[in-house]
Amino acid sequence: MLWYKAWLETRTRFLISLAGMTALGCYRVWELDRNPEPWYKLDYYYFALRSGHQLITLMWIVAATLLLMGGLLREKALGVSSFTLALPASRRRLMGVRIGTGFGQGLVLAIVPWSAMFVTAALTGQARSIFQAWFSIVLLIGGGAVIAGVALLVSALIEGEYTAPMVSFGFAILCGNAPKSLEFVNPLGLMGGRAYLGGSNMLVRPIPWIHVTANLCVTAILVGISVKIVERRDF
Amino acid sequence: MLFRLTPSGGQPLYLQLMQQIRHAVETGALRDGDQLPGIRTLAEELVVSPGTVVKAYSELEHEGVLTMHHGSGAFVCANRRTKRLGECVQEARERVDELIQQLRGDGLLDDEIRRLFEASLLGAGKTVGKR
Amino acid sequence: MTGALAIETEGLSKSYGSMHAVRNLNLAVKPNRITAFLGLNGAGKSTTIKMLLGIVKPTEGSGRVLGKRIDYPVESVELRRDVAFVTEDKNLYGYMTVEQIIRFTRGFFPGWRQDVAEELLRKYELPARRKVRHLSKGMRTKLALLLAVSRRPTLLILDEPSEGLDPRGIEQLLECLVAQCAEGATVFFSSHQIAEIERISDEVCIINRGSLVLDASLDVLRLNWRQVDLVFASLPDRGDFQLAGVERIRTRGQQMSLFASGNVDAIVERARDFHATAIDVSPVGLREIFLQSVEES
Repeated sequence: MLWYKAWLETRTRFLISLAGMTALGCYRVWELDRNPEPWYKLDYYYFALRSGHQLITLMWIVAATLLLMGGLLREKALGVSSFTLALPASRRRLMGVRIGTGFGQGLVLAIVPWSAMFVTAALTGQARSIFQAWFSIVLLIGGGAVIAGVALLVSALIEGEYTAPMVSFGFAILCGNAPKSLEFVNPLGLMGGRAYLGGSNMLVRPIPWIHVTANLCVTAILVGISVKIVERRDF
Repeated sequence: MLFRLTPSGGQPLYLQLMQQIRHAVETGALRDGDQLPGIRTLAEELVVSPGTVVKAYSELEHEGVLTMHHGSGAFVCANRRTKRLGECVQEARERVDELIQQLRGDGLLDDEIRRLFEASLLGAGKTVGKR
Repeated sequence: MTGALAIETEGLSKSYGSMHAVRNLNLAVKPNRITAFLGLNGAGKSTTIKMLLGIVKPTEGSGRVLGKRIDYPVESVELRRDVAFVTEDKNLYGYMTVEQIIRFTRGFFPGWRQDVAEELLRKYELPARRKVRHLSKGMRTKLALLLAVSRRPTLLILDEPSEGLDPRGIEQLLECLVAQCAEGATVFFSSHQIAEIERISDEVCIINRGSLVLDASLDVLRLNWRQVDLVFASLPDRGDFQLAGVERIRTRGQQMSLFASGNVDAIVERARDFHATAIDVSPVGLREIFLQSVEES
């Protein structure tokens, strides 16, 4: 029943994000096909998708932060945490469902809009590279996981109805403005894939599994800490 | 069955209920063989703890005013003894009325008379005596 | 469950830094009775209840609810299967409808009685499709009661249940609690509404500044506590009346007023020894007993 609750709580946000991201992503690519930018000489199809990827990354960060808003601390600010905590469910299970829902939705939001965008681009009749789609989605998931992990941790630390997502946004903005030297540890850096652009400004193989795995490990740590915090604290 | 309990008075509610049931039996409002409301029903109606009703009924059963048939409820048992008590109380009421008239005649106010009675009853540390 | 206590605590304490919300609390709540937990605002009632339910962790001491340890997470989850809690604010998930929150809560309790829930939906006139955030406080209370009662709890805990209710709402609430007790449940509710406590409670636990100052059956209190008003031609010394059971002595002019928790016979006798010109013994309500118990010494 906790999954049911999590769904009821987030479904509006999720469906709007899904629809919005898919629509905007597809529109961007379709529009660029019709009015290509001047520097897309080499492979404008490729760069249309790059542009789409940037847009989707930005939207994904906003959506994921909003989707991970919630949890017991937010319920405490709303005065409902005692009801939830008096139910026969362990805190670990409560967190587990929230993590599953939030990250699961984030995953769907990483895959579906990009895939729809790819299909839209393919319909314009240009040569396509599934590898680019695959690479971009992996980058998005790798970097995004850390953003989601941070959003989760912040929601376990900061009480308030909307304070937690604002702090998470702040973190994302900080990442966005971080110096180039931190590119490698910056999750936004991974998502943007700038480190993997070759001389022709195209993504260079192979997919940086080590970098992605490292990010996922960081995410796992953030999630673990969040769960421990929620298990230990008083409400 | 209309009972009224006063929770803020100094008397335990079960005793008040017992008195009122006895009174009902004495005045004939409850006759021999009549069934009293079930414990839950009466508790909900009076909005008192079921424990109060349970105590009242079981004390009255002890006194012989009621009999409890497990499963079917509590029934009035107005036997000869209760009837005799009923007459006793009638008599006592007449005597009390007389006394009160006398005291009023002596110039005491109703409030003062009430306090005298209460002091006499409560001051001795005893509650309504068991019959 | 005869004999075993519904709630028992031993030295239960909770401190926030130097602030002691609950101090060395030893509760012993009997099963299948209605017990009131009475105290001023900030006395520690809510904190105690939260500790019993595992929402707050005790600083010291231990406790058991329905025989299970409150400070062991696994047992705490288990005990909550048989406990229903109604919060003070009766806030529920605003984004769910009445129907949805019933469906949600039902999923946690295998013994859920949907027929009871439907009956209460009708009786309380709750609109099934309306979102909880659009319900008035009175309706939210009824919904909270419905959610609590439909799961057939062994123990029902309520924190200031009549808070924010109009007289009719209060009446329905008290009827519901009485009905639950008649079904065999134990009811434990915190309140500072003396009138309601006097109506339905079997036992009362008075808490002040985090500690238990009185734990007695209401009937025993009614039988034993008295106010003795005396008038003397010449007022004796207070010390002569410091007998066992005397809680407080007040004097003014020729009058002495004693507040006693028992031993009234001896007091009256002493008054006669000192040739009191007037002796008045009157019963005392819970309000006075409570105020006396929480007075600064």
